[in-house]
Amino acid sequence: MKYAPFFGCMISVKYPQMEASVRKTMANLGVELVDLEGFSCCPDPIYFKAADKLTWMTLAARNICIAEEAGLDLVTMCSGCTATLSEANFHLKHDPELKEKVNQRLKKIGKEYKGNVSVRHIVTVLRDDLGIEKVKSSVKKPLNLKVAIHYGCHLLKPSEIMRVDDPDHPTILERLFEVAGAETIKHEKQVLCCGKACTHEEIPEKMTYDVLSSIKKSGADFMGLICPTCFDEFDLGQINLSRKFSVDLKVPIIYYFQFLGLSQGLSTEDVGLHLHKTKADEMLKKIS
Amino acid sequence: MKLVNFKFRHKLNTIIGGDAHNFCYQCGACVGDCPAALYSPAFNPRNILLEALLGDEESLVGPDSVIWDCTNCNTCYERCPQAVRPVEVIIALKNISFEKGTNPPGVKSILDSVKESGRTVKPSSLSDRRRKELGLKEISIVPLEELKKLLE
Repeated sequence: MKYAPFFGCMISVKYPQMEASVRKTMANLGVELVDLEGFSCCPDPIYFKAADKLTWMTLAARNICIAEEAGLDLVTMCSGCTATLSEANFHLKHDPELKEKVNQRLKKIGKEYKGNVSVRHIVTVLRDDLGIEKVKSSVKKPLNLKVAIHYGCHLLKPSEIMRVDDPDHPTILERLFEVAGAETIKHEKQVLCCGKACTHEEIPEKMTYDVLSSIKKSGADFMGLICPTCFDEFDLGQINLSRKFSVDLKVPIIYYFQFLGLSQGLSTEDVGLHLHKTKADEMLKKIS
Repeated sequence: MKLVNFKFRHKLNTIIGGDAHNFCYQCGACVGDCPAALYSPAFNPRNILLEALLGDEESLVGPDSVIWDCTNCNTCYERCPQAVRPVEVIIALKNISFEKGTNPPGVKSILDSVKESGRTVKPSSLSDRRRKELGLKEISIVPLEELKKLLE
């Protein structure tokens, strides 16, 4: 099983612990990640796309071309990269006029978008290509902890493009956390947006506050997620919010592949938990 | 009486995803589950679509437009029975705002960062050190000359 990984900017630069945990857990599962040269930013589906959709799509197409040249499907680990590359791939495959326009631009650098590879979020590789049982077989030490999941928006929506799961009642992350030993706890704001993409400061702050309160109330040991942008909002965000409103909103935030890595026997340093703003000491005591 | 500004609507039609605004029949399905509408009373995707149908350029793409309160969650895309994809219409409006220079400064700085480094987050000595400690290879190089040609 071979894929071209697309780690993007947030993960490679800001949260390399996520890249390390993906690489180590996928190696344990026998998946080959073939690194390709020349990728740029996906580019970002919020601000870059807000500036100029056609250029956004052209740069996304350029990244997809690199995977096409290697004959490999692209696998993404960031919900933002997933959004950009999946949306661009979908529209370019379905709209010949748009494809022609983008290819006119790509000619300048000697590239041509053909539309013969897929863009996949890595959790679908676990569920659909490897299978849940195979993931389970890699778990050496099931971690008996309670997780409250935050799905984030762009893994699931728009569902006609993403085709990952039911956008209102998803189960994919529950199943993946459960095979690594966790008990999944439902919480009120399970599918609320983190708000990060909103340029107004107050709105994301209120949303983040509500999601964190909902998780606190649920009694979970940690929040589990798969998006570095949501992570950005919740990890540092909870410290700022706890201070600002004199409340305790602190809860460890764990990226799925860090959790899977721990269950496969990797150390907390291997998966980079020590780099998080909110320390996971109490949670770790329960499994040591 | 206000007249419909068709010139603005034609402009919106030329941007990817902007032309779908013509199909909005103002049912309001986009509002019910919109998190931005829940948290910001000023933000209402149905009103934004109504203003798009009227071609209310000043309100939609003027400075401090409410369109920037959208969280880009794509829920309205799911709910719309007319395939208007309100979020995509809103992003098309943002493109017009960017052209006019009425966008929030964050948009330009992300664009500049991609132009300069090929990335939204620039690598630093700290990120290099962290990657090394985690056993990762050096961060890959972005061919900036190629990007420049596409960004011209």
